[in-house]
Amino acid sequence: MAGLAPEGTQFDGRQYDAKMSELLSTDGQEFFTSYDEVYDSFDAMGLQENLLRGIYAYGFERPSAIQQRGIVPFCKGLDVIQQAQSGTGKTATFCSGILQQLDYGLVQCQALVLAPTRELAQQIEKVMRALGDYLGVKVHACVGGTSVREDQRILQAGVHTVVGTPGRVFDMLRRQSLRPDCIKMFVLDEADEMLSRGFKDQIYDIFQLLPSKIQVGVFSATMPPEALEITRKFMNKPVRILVKRDELTLEGIKQFYVNVDKEEWKLETLCDLYETLAITQSVIFVNTRRKVDWLTDKMRSNDHTVSATHGDMDQNTRDIIMREFRSGSSRVLITTDLLARGIDVQQVSLVINYDLPTQPENYLHRIGRSGRFGRKGVSINFVTTDDARMLSDIQKFYNVTVEELPSNVADLL
Amino acid sequence: MRPILMKGHERPLTFLKYNRDGDLLFSCAKDHNPTVWFADNGERLGTYRGHNGAVWTCDVSRDSVRLITGSADQTAKLWDVQSGLQLYTFNFDSPARSVDFSVGDRLAVITTDPFMELSSAIHVKRIADDPTEQSGESLLLIKGPLGRINRAIWGPLNSTIISAGEDAVIRIWDSETGKLLKESDKESGHKKTVTSLAKSADGSHFLTGSLDKSARLWDTRSLTLIKTYVTERPVNAVTMSPLLDHVVIGGGQDASAVTTTDHRAGKFEAKFFDKILQEEIGGVKGHFGPINALAFNPDGKSFSSGGEDGYVRLHHFDPDYFNIKI
Repeated sequence: MAGLAPEGTQFDGRQYDAKMSELLSTDGQEFFTSYDEVYDSFDAMGLQENLLRGIYAYGFERPSAIQQRGIVPFCKGLDVIQQAQSGTGKTATFCSGILQQLDYGLVQCQALVLAPTRELAQQIEKVMRALGDYLGVKVHACVGGTSVREDQRILQAGVHTVVGTPGRVFDMLRRQSLRPDCIKMFVLDEADEMLSRGFKDQIYDIFQLLPSKIQVGVFSATMPPEALEITRKFMNKPVRILVKRDELTLEGIKQFYVNVDKEEWKLETLCDLYETLAITQSVIFVNTRRKVDWLTDKMRSNDHTVSATHGDMDQNTRDIIMREFRSGSSRVLITTDLLARGIDVQQVSLVINYDLPTQPENYLHRIGRSGRFGRKGVSINFVTTDDARMLSDIQKFYNVTVEELPSNVADLL
Repeated sequence: MRPILMKGHERPLTFLKYNRDGDLLFSCAKDHNPTVWFADNGERLGTYRGHNGAVWTCDVSRDSVRLITGSADQTAKLWDVQSGLQLYTFNFDSPARSVDFSVGDRLAVITTDPFMELSSAIHVKRIADDPTEQSGESLLLIKGPLGRINRAIWGPLNSTIISAGEDAVIRIWDSETGKLLKESDKESGHKKTVTSLAKSADGSHFLTGSLDKSARLWDTRSLTLIKTYVTERPVNAVTMSPLLDHVVIGGGQDASAVTTTDHRAGKFEAKFFDKILQEEIGGVKGHFGPINALAFNPDGKSFSSGGEDGYVRLHHFDPDYFNIKI
């Protein structure tokens, strides 16, 4: 028993599994709906013609595993809980499900998607707009930090779908700029984050304002039992697609650690790696906003070009930085867990955990910024003496191997 | 050789094409905007904006004046290479997949995908000298066999069209009557989707790549199988050196399986084979996603690869390459 994480800690695999078993046991069977069909082509799913055109125009040719199972039950109006590894097509799954069910003759908000960050909401809005182009979908990203008056104007002019962050969406509902009367679909992306302590109250407040008869979809790469428990309260016999915790890690992301011994030596290690970082695109995660600023200053003092973003920066700056990073104008981005979830940038192939994450789920989400659909990735963890235990717990919990960083890391990128 | 990394596409690459003179390289990707680069140093020259979907292929006229692109937005477009202006849009009822100018640039063959009840098709369009007189009318329409037609090119003297696609069969059609002249048989030919096709410099033979993990060399007139190159990965792209008897094959495991399987399983290198001996002579690493496109510079001194990772990599050969002994 010496090798196991202490009982009750967040890395206690046995407790996680026991809770999950309880939720999915005989009692749990009555809570869920079975839906086992798999569709190996988009044509076979019964989607409307103009949605199919949008899917093919986007460049999709064949559905991914989650799309094969997940699109059709959502299209049928069923509540769904869908978990799949990072970067395997969850966004297109719920976007297709929503687009299939909208009434395009009614220019009123019929679907609401909530995401934890502004960057992610804007990314989802872009995918929804692209897939729904032939359908003439009107979709709006309703996020904080932008003009309230502009949001009000757009919402009052009428949209079919809103993708937003909870704070701004609630504000628009409260001001009655966004009317809930016709909303019949409600999607939580990164659902475990949305149902966690930080967002749960806001979600509850929004949900209270929505019609009582509503279809709910929850999506995430991580779905701990605590989040699953909460879904019981507002979902109606959902179809579930879940992945075991030890199968969540993407094998295509090679994971390494560097023993830096002391916190003060991380910076030197990062500078040593910088030349490798800039070969393609990299994201460096630290745990606090203050530390993002500190590390950015230090790197620039060492003549290294980096960009940075975190939640305290003004929205215009955040937008510019994301645009520059996506287009490849900047190569190395330092950030907090603000960007741990959902963000999809084509050429990111390396993630560095300068600090190990404080929440276990965020480890998977962070390294999932590389290794997106069709691309291998590499992640490197900086480990101090104090961190060694946590890294060991992560390895056991997610059933992964984290090797010592070889000297030829550039060859892996 | 140290590759030049070309960054300009925000989504996976789909196709690469050099102009005849070899000083320009055109790239297509799923991000709607074909791009043109200087082929010597990889500098970006410009982009072609107007498509509203993934762009699958392109072709450029002999004099480098016209560009044609085929897109998943159900159109093929003609562009002025220099200014980037759209000259004409051919509209279809399903995604356009492959485009190829004929010798003399007066005709173009365009394939369209199957869509719902619509079958795949091969269209032949006349290309007007004066863009203001361009018409969308088809000179010939061939209703396709099963599945997507991933590639269609002109045969010798523009008298035939060679097509290949999802049903693994290579076909030669009469370009005036649309009559099927020859078909590869499944016994000696490919077993799975043909993804890519490259013509030799003199047009006498062509190379096809397939998900069956092989590339095959065919005689253009008789459709006789000449050589087979076996690899351990699905093949997404093929090209041939215009100077040496070398073929290059690229691919990798299916994009949907890349992140959920071990790092070593990708097999994303471009592999060089001796065309005659069918033996592998080397490989070029670098991409971290499957290779979707390959092209040789007509001068034979460099080649480019495009990947699912969104990068175009331009490789100039070392002198040693031209002295390889087997």
